Amino acid sequence: MRHRIFVAVVLTCLWSVFVLAVAQTDAKHSQNNSKPQPSGATTRSQTVGEKRFQTNCGRCHNAPEAISPSEARAVVRHMRVRAMLSAEDEKLILEFLAP
Amino acid sequence: MVARVLGALTLIMLVLSAASAQSNIPILSGGAGFLTATQGDNTFFQPVVAPVLVVPLGENWLVESRADLRGFISRENGTTGPYQGRFFGTLEYLQLDYNANSHLTITAGRFLTPFGIFNERLSAIWINKLQDAPLIAAIGTAGGYSDGFMLRGALISNDRYAVNYTAYFSTLSNVTKFESERTTGGRVGVYIPSIGLELGTSYQRKLQNRRMNSFGTHISWTPSGLPLEIKGEWAHSLSGHGYWIQGGYRLSQLGGANSATGRLEPVFRMQQFFRSRHIAGDSLSATNLRRPEFGLNYYLPYEIRLNASYGRQFISQFTDVNVWEFGITYRFLFPLWPGESK
Repeated sequence: MRHRIFVAVVLTCLWSVFVLAVAQTDAKHSQNNSKPQPSGATTRSQTVGEKRFQTNCGRCHNAPEAISPSEARAVVRHMRVRAMLSAEDEKLILEFLAP
Repeated sequence: MVARVLGALTLIMLVLSAASAQSNIPILSGGAGFLTATQGDNTFFQPVVAPVLVVPLGENWLVESRADLRGFISRENGTTGPYQGRFFGTLEYLQLDYNANSHLTITAGRFLTPFGIFNERLSAIWINKLQDAPLIAAIGTAGGYSDGFMLRGALISNDRYAVNYTAYFSTLSNVTKFESERTTGGRVGVYIPSIGLELGTSYQRKLQNRRMNSFGTHISWTPSGLPLEIKGEWAHSLSGHGYWIQGGYRLSQLGGANSATGRLEPVFRMQQFFRSRHIAGDSLSATNLRRPEFGLNYYLPYEIRLNASYGRQFISQFTDVNVWEFGITYRFLFPLWPGESK
């Protein structure tokens, strides 16, 4: 009996996590789709920013699937400390994540 | 008591952040997972939540914290009896950072001890490609956490190379949930972007009871154009020495990173620990260990990852056990309140 309850609790938790994940990511995708297209100059700095992201952040983990501009600033501030980024790297990576 | 203090601190930080600027949106990030492991005949289940709170305060200040809330469910007598669970809560870091300039960040509070690369960079459950920490993870990290202050940053950073550093001092603390040892140390790493190679070295000196030094070196190689990463560490202390080296290759070249095959990542890790002398409370294996492991990670959409691994642990020359591990992890990220859209 205890075993069944345990399995039921585990399955419920896993299902809840999955549903939360789907809901969260769908909301972010719809938010990101409404972003304006960057200009040419911004695109260039984004390319550099992407390179800096890959060399600094991508060494340890994958890029987040979706991130809103309001989250990106705090994430990059966090990563400046974690990944020991310079101020220039922080700026470029922020432009890449939140153009 | 500690929970109340932390709750009050969190509330104060959120209010300060709200007052400081609307662009500084605090976030709640982290990971959740359900891990299972079978070592020999013993099976364990571990539901884990590891929230990360990040609260920017103005342009130069930042408060960040990570906890590890973990259940440990196993049979009462190891291999027989009913399942029973215990709960563990660990405050892994709670630190105040000040970005003094482009090359220096000053940190005070509780932080992850910077020794090698595993403890600081890879220990999060949504990053670590294999469930377990390396056998040598306790060398030079003083339990993993330090209470004190730290200087860190990028000494030089350009397109050709980057030099990063940390230096810290940790005080002795016996406060519940804030335990730490009196130590000092640091780490230096050199990264060459053109070949994706980082080499570094770490040092720690324990300043209480039996004073001793720990040394370590690390390597991280992520060649550009290949979804390959190789990481490794070697560490030495009075207790013993050892190494781990790990390779992961995501099969994204077969149909792209989002194809059914491209989401798969085989991982291999080899590690050994050699005990030199017994020192009480060093959190290392009492005997020599050798453990080759092979794992498969599968990256599902919505930041969900499945992982499975098999390893064989050789304990001295006489005993060996199979280690099977399965898990599911989910990486989450939420703003704590709505902010500007751009």
